[in-house]
Amino acid sequence: MAIGGITLTGVTRTFQVGDEEFHALDRVNLSIDRGAFVAVMGPSGSGKSTLANIIGGLDRPTAGSVVVEGEDLAKLGDAALSRFRNKAIGFVFQSFNLKGDSTSLENVMLPLTFARMRPKQRKARATACLERVGLGDRLHHLPNQLSGGQRQRVAIARALATEPALIIADEPTGNLDSARGAEIIAMLGALNADGVTLLVITHDSAVAGHADRVVEVVDGTVREGSAG
Amino acid sequence: MRFADYLLLTLRSLRRSRLRSFLTISAIVVGATGVTVMLTFVTSVKNFVTQQYVQTGQIDQIQVSETPNLTYSPTGSSNGPGPQGVGNTSTLTPALEAQIAALPHVTGVAAIAQGFGSQDLAYLSYGGHELNFNNLSAYEPDGVITPTLVAGRDLGPTDTANAILVSSDYADALGFKGSYAKLVGQTVELHTDTGYTGVGATLPSVLPPQSQCNPTQGPQPGSSGPTCGPTASLPAIDLPAVVVGVMSAASDHGVIYLPLSWAIAIGNTALPAGSGIVSCGPGTRQTCPDTGQNQGQNQGQNQGQNQSGQAPGSPQIVTWTTQTATQFLAQRGGYGSLIVKVDGTDHVAAVATSIDHLGVSAATGIDALNQQKQKANAIGLILGSLGLVALFIAALGVMNTMVMSVFERTREIGVMRALGARRSTIRRLFTFEATALGFFGGLFGVIIGSVFVLAAKNVISKSVKSGSLSGANFSVPIWLIVVVIAGTSAIGLLSGFFPARRAARLDPVEALRYE
Ligand SMILES: Nc1ncnc2c1ncn2[C@@H]1O[C@H](COP(=O)(O)OP(=O)(O)OP(=O)(O)O)[C@@H](O)[C@H]1O
Ligand SMILES: [Mg+2]
Repeated sequence: MAIGGITLTGVTRTFQVGDEEFHALDRVNLSIDRGAFVAVMGPSGSGKSTLANIIGGLDRPTAGSVVVEGEDLAKLGDAALSRFRNKAIGFVFQSFNLKGDSTSLENVMLPLTFARMRPKQRKARATACLERVGLGDRLHHLPNQLSGGQRQRVAIARALATEPALIIADEPTGNLDSARGAEIIAMLGALNADGVTLLVITHDSAVAGHADRVVEVVDGTVREGSAG
Repeated sequence: MRFADYLLLTLRSLRRSRLRSFLTISAIVVGATGVTVMLTFVTSVKNFVTQQYVQTGQIDQIQVSETPNLTYSPTGSSNGPGPQGVGNTSTLTPALEAQIAALPHVTGVAAIAQGFGSQDLAYLSYGGHELNFNNLSAYEPDGVITPTLVAGRDLGPTDTANAILVSSDYADALGFKGSYAKLVGQTVELHTDTGYTGVGATLPSVLPPQSQCNPTQGPQPGSSGPTCGPTASLPAIDLPAVVVGVMSAASDHGVIYLPLSWAIAIGNTALPAGSGIVSCGPGTRQTCPDTGQNQGQNQGQNQGQNQSGQAPGSPQIVTWTTQTATQFLAQRGGYGSLIVKVDGTDHVAAVATSIDHLGVSAATGIDALNQQKQKANAIGLILGSLGLVALFIAALGVMNTMVMSVFERTREIGVMRALGARRSTIRRLFTFEATALGFFGGLFGVIIGSVFVLAAKNVISKSVKSGSLSGANFSVPIWLIVVVIAGTSAIGLLSGFFPARRAARLDPVEALRYE
């Protein structure tokens, strides 16, 4: 377990459903090394997204401790946790989640805006990120002027913008055809090769084949899967 | 996040839902326009009234009048003893005037009299025009009373007689419309009634025969010109008067002012007493010692005693007696009113109280001004509250818009949280948006309101030529612009408070899952 990686100890996430308690995650212990490419697999409703949200600081566990990049997330208040998400985590969603009224450039600049970066630097950084995902000629396109694959590339550029240590992609290829999906996975793989820790939730075993390690989530518990 | 970024994101989201933003802002515009127009009207009227009071000096003046005595007195005296022992009546006497002038902070007192002289004067003539005396008044020209002039000068201390001020409508009637300055310096004639024995009259030592009247009915003091009696046959004369100034008809309609001393000299008519033998200087105006008791009332009796052999209708030798100004004033019940000038607006109330203690009524210009202001305020309050109701409804509109906006953008809020936005950032973003709705509503409201005011100004200046508000300056004051925009912004801010808090409290995971 390298310092700077991810360490989950006894993480439980309980939801109140009517009168009953439902354990979406049940005493999960998990360590992920810095720079690893981990594929998270498992049946629908098993708790994959819940796990990813807890690691990303979007959700808090009901019990247990989460340490990411040396930060014990339970100890962080809203401001610090938000800052942690901004600086250390890059999220990529299945449905892209771009701001429809903003251009590619503006979408990529948004996390830098929250980081209070100066406008000039912001623009330079966002442009560089978009060039890196091959969209240097689409800076001023609105999301609805882009293809699905291009949109997801904008989302990846946005996740990259603050140079996070960890990128969490929750079914990034779910809305794309297999060729576009392969491009996205290749792109994420290239980022991982540059040292970014990568956590990809996927149903696609082909995607898992690119990963160093596969983690399987079943009924809220985690076990090591068969790596591809 | 930086302020400029909040601004940018806010403008973007307002633009994204253009129609909704437009409608929400429109509701605020209605209220803001109403408030702007109404408050402009009220403040303009108040400023105009205040300005008038300040310009005419009324703001530092107190008008003193008799306190009416409502107690029945069998002796028939209308004026009982003054409560503080001012003389033996509460009339406005020269003694009271001196007493008031001696009060601290009083810089001057001027007496005003109405009716002095007008009983003896018939009409004004100049260049073939003959005009009625509509409102003939007199005041002490000691600098306290300063009529608003359009030409010439005010009456001054040296104008003891043969000088008048006329209002511009008189000047118009005399053919000087538009060239009031030419009337200044002209001499007009004040034509007296027949039988006039005031200043300037030639008093004969022998009265012509008077057969048409009962000789026991002499002219009563203070009665209007003698239509019968011993002086009835004396000829009317013309008193020359130089017009020293023309007053604005906007403040003084159909008014002619005389210097008070001249008005008293005209009104204080000499009375004949038939002596038969004795005459202390025919044609002179003096009080004869040996006939001092001989007033008009007992003239018939004198006639019977001294001239028993003389048949009625034959000429009689008379002596003329005139009262002193003080006697004349006392007999006429004192001055009409006194105008007191105080050395500062702050002292007016205290001086007015001191004057009240002298047993007379003091009305201050400030009180009158405040009454007018209160009227304007009352109108403003009614109209303004209509605007406020409109603004309140607009505030509900802002709240509704913001609640909708938060619902619609729930997923976006989740994304922003994932990208590192704090709760406070989200709250500020929505608060900013609501405030912007209010701000733009206020801004456009002020602009539209100013256009209305400008249009109304043109209408008023065209339709109300000489009305009481013709001089009012209708323009939206800067402070009102600031207040309206700040007010609507504050309304937006408050209306956005709960929706923004709701947005900030959204759980990021829930928000991201929101369809
Ligand atoms: N807010 C909630 N209240 C109640 N139950 C919840 C809530 N959020 C998630 N769950 C439950 O937790 C379980 C795990 O959900 P999660 O979204 O992590 O599943 P998942 O593994 O990502 O599934 P999928 O592959 O379909 O995305 C599900 O059974 C879901 O019903
Ligand atoms: Mg999921």
